[in-house]
Amino acid sequence: MKRNSRLGSRLCIGLMFLFLYAPILLLIIFSFNAGDSSAVWKGFSLHWYGQLFRNRLIMESVYTTLLVSLLATAIATVAGTFAAIGLYSLGRRRREALLTVNNIPMMNADIVTGVSLCLFFVAFFQGWGTFARWFNSVQSAVELPDRLVLGFGTLLLAHVTFNIPYVILNVAPKLRQMDRNLMDAAQDLGCTWMQAFWKVMLPEIKPGIVSGALIAFTMSIDDFIISYFTAGSASSTLAMTIYGMTKKRVTPEVNAISTLLFLSVLVLLVLSNVKEVRQEARERLGAARKLTALERARQKFAEPQYLWARRGLAGALACVFIVSVGFLSYATGSRPVVNVCSWGEYIDEELITQFEEATGIRVNYQTAESNEALYSLLKSGGADYDVIVPSDYMIGRLIAEDMLEPLDYGQIPNFSLIDDRFKNLSYDPENRYTVPYTWGTLGIIYNTAVVEEEITSWRALYDDKYAGNVLLINNSRDAIGEALFCLGYSVNTTDEAEIREAFALVADANRRGIFQGRVMDEIFLKMEGGNAAIATYYAGDYLSMVDNQAEGVDLAFVIPEEGSNWFVDAMCMLKDAPHQREAHMWINFIASTEANLANMDYIWYASPNREALERYPAYYEELYGEELDPEVYEIMAAPPETLERCEAYRNLPTETLNLYKNLWTHLGAD
Amino acid sequence: MRNKLSGFAVPYVIWMALMVVIPILIMVVYAFTTAEFEGTLENFSEMGVYASVFVRSFRLALIATLVCLLIGYPVSCWMAREGPGFQRVAMALIMLPMWMNFLLRTYSWMSILENNGLLNQLFRAVGLLDLLGVDYIPMIGTSGAVVLGMVYNYLPFMILPIYSVIVKLDHSLLEAARDLGADSARVFRRVILPLSLPGVLSGVTMVFVPSVSTFAISRLLGGGTQLMLGDLIEQQFLGGAYDPHLGAAISMVMMVIVVVCMVVMNHFGEGEEQAVML
Repeated sequence: MKRNSRLGSRLCIGLMFLFLYAPILLLIIFSFNAGDSSAVWKGFSLHWYGQLFRNRLIMESVYTTLLVSLLATAIATVAGTFAAIGLYSLGRRRREALLTVNNIPMMNADIVTGVSLCLFFVAFFQGWGTFARWFNSVQSAVELPDRLVLGFGTLLLAHVTFNIPYVILNVAPKLRQMDRNLMDAAQDLGCTWMQAFWKVMLPEIKPGIVSGALIAFTMSIDDFIISYFTAGSASSTLAMTIYGMTKKRVTPEVNAISTLLFLSVLVLLVLSNVKEVRQEARERLGAARKLTALERARQKFAEPQYLWARRGLAGALACVFIVSVGFLSYATGSRPVVNVCSWGEYIDEELITQFEEATGIRVNYQTAESNEALYSLLKSGGADYDVIVPSDYMIGRLIAEDMLEPLDYGQIPNFSLIDDRFKNLSYDPENRYTVPYTWGTLGIIYNTAVVEEEITSWRALYDDKYAGNVLLINNSRDAIGEALFCLGYSVNTTDEAEIREAFALVADANRRGIFQGRVMDEIFLKMEGGNAAIATYYAGDYLSMVDNQAEGVDLAFVIPEEGSNWFVDAMCMLKDAPHQREAHMWINFIASTEANLANMDYIWYASPNREALERYPAYYEELYGEELDPEVYEIMAAPPETLERCEAYRNLPTETLNLYKNLWTHLGAD
Repeated sequence: MRNKLSGFAVPYVIWMALMVVIPILIMVVYAFTTAEFEGTLENFSEMGVYASVFVRSFRLALIATLVCLLIGYPVSCWMAREGPGFQRVAMALIMLPMWMNFLLRTYSWMSILENNGLLNQLFRAVGLLDLLGVDYIPMIGTSGAVVLGMVYNYLPFMILPIYSVIVKLDHSLLEAARDLGADSARVFRRVILPLSLPGVLSGVTMVFVPSVSTFAISRLLGGGTQLMLGDLIEQQFLGGAYDPHLGAAISMVMMVIVVVCMVVMNHFGEGEEQAVML
């Protein structure tokens, strides 16, 4: 009877482990997949591991993660230990008050901690900027930097802040258990306070310090939310990189990195467990005679292997530190840099390498999710970009809010190659700020294997027939714009009633469960894998999806009869960008015909470069030995009669923008 | 000596004031001001619109916490009965996924739950889908998927504190209870349960707080069509509707509710030893 019940409970424990480990095993298995799907097996390969080590973004974020975790753990352990000693010597009332404050970062949801730190840093930076400008104006001996941004420094401060409480909580009980007279005794016997601390107190509270440091390190490594709000754009931890990757076309590189992480943690755990078992065995032997703390401490210090371990550890830490500092000074050193922020799947990465080799300038290439998210990032002071590539209407808004720097066209000779119809557009009428990057149209993409009828109207997006199979585009301008088209209004309307009616169409469909999700670049995998049937996205991305569609999926693209949006995305430079010369060089390089051809071929977006646009079919034929399907070319570069049916977004007045923002916040909030 | 040592607390007090208290005060200031930093209560009067988001977040987090408790408590009890070797390995296995980033674990569920994902492929292969006459069973983008993600990610946070309390239970107490004539159910109800309460409370906190404020899990598994509090806050800061003042107000309300929940809950466990960490 008893045996049986134990068997039953073991079975349950086993089931729980199956639940915990099955997804991890799947991740590991698919890291060896030859194909790039995480659901269809195409054979064994180590391809993605090779890719992983070539992926600079991932390798750098692994490095940032380790560095910030180690530094934060080291700082927090020392600071937390001394703080705990200090707290312990305070009176009860004051100690308890302080411990309550100490608990705040642990009790608070991470997001509250992250948000409050983010606001604090930004407020501090603003105050500092004002102070530095004043200080620089009254004297000229010392030049203070007047522009601080979120970055590695703020990330480290945030990690130290949430780590210290864990160290204190672990050290405090050990201090409570310690005999208070020991320290006095040691000092009476002639030790200085320092000696007594090293020889008596430290060995006593060491287990607490070690476990505190371990927990702090774990928390640092695992943290995503607080880093997300405090790291800004310049440095990204592994968790942030992974989050960024899950929002795009996910490649099994993610699986490869998780397999490696899993294995390294597994090895560490096994090692530490073996050590623990050994230690316990030793302790059982040693327990025959009870030792006082003093004796035990002295004995331990005398053990040669202990000494070696200590030295080894110290050596390893020192190495890590030196390598870190070396890397940091290399990364931030004299090499010129340009920080570029664009969209996902929006450049032939070969171009970055070419530019770096030709000029010696390092390109920090990052991506944002949508125009609105980019705007948030810029406003919250988290962005340290030189060049950004927003769309027309957002450029209008950034210019109106004085956030862009005029370009020096003398440094951009390739601007003359841009087709005249993409110059002096309404968002930048005198063309002082922008060099067009691509242009295209918005349309409906649908899987004809699932959708039997031919879709011609935006109404299909809100149709109950396709409930749970439609993807809503996750930015307010496109999502509400589509509804405005559907209702026959202008997308640039400022009429509140019209906008509200359009929003109601979207919100109502959302309430009825029509939308499977709100997506931007996640759309690639969803549509290619046949996981959703209808979505709206940009023409170039449709062509790239067709290239990658899975078996049994047959995608089609349509610009609905009610008309649609056509857009220009253009490169601009942010106000007071720190690397203006490099930014101009980058913009000029990207505007060249060769770069535009390469980009067109890679991302399938039409180029504003006249020569590149005309030459592309020939370029394609030369490259692939077959003719470019004229239909494909037409989708890529919409002909004038299609463009006539389309309307460009314009920047809207502040009240309308606020209305969009408020409505968008309400979506899904019912 | 005492006075000398208390000097150690000074840098810490300054640090905490600067990095914990002031940021929260700044958040409060944001919550009560407009974009032009004029005092307002508008951010809070708008809060009614988001009542359903609060309700949804707290409901889902509560469900996830309950499921974690229902799985975690028996598992902890059963594990505590096993031999030391089994316990050591089991503990290591429970800790192990915690060291992998939770985003990776959540991501792996995405490929399982998709309409064309592994689970639906499996159902198709065994003929379940034909039997039901559907093309797929919708799983991704539902509240169920979000709860699953929470349970999956935070289950270890429930098991660890409960287990560490139960494993330290004084066995003579149980024997005494049995000697005094209590049956197993009574021993459990009157001895084990009350004594393990601190672990339960700490586990509930450690599951509930991250669940109620998550945005990554709801975004990846829930599709983002049904907002949760974390999504709402994230949207105001780094997402598609920039308004840090409203975001700060929502964060503040959430913080207050969570703190009130904690205080009420810890009131239950009053007199017990302080909550057990890990």
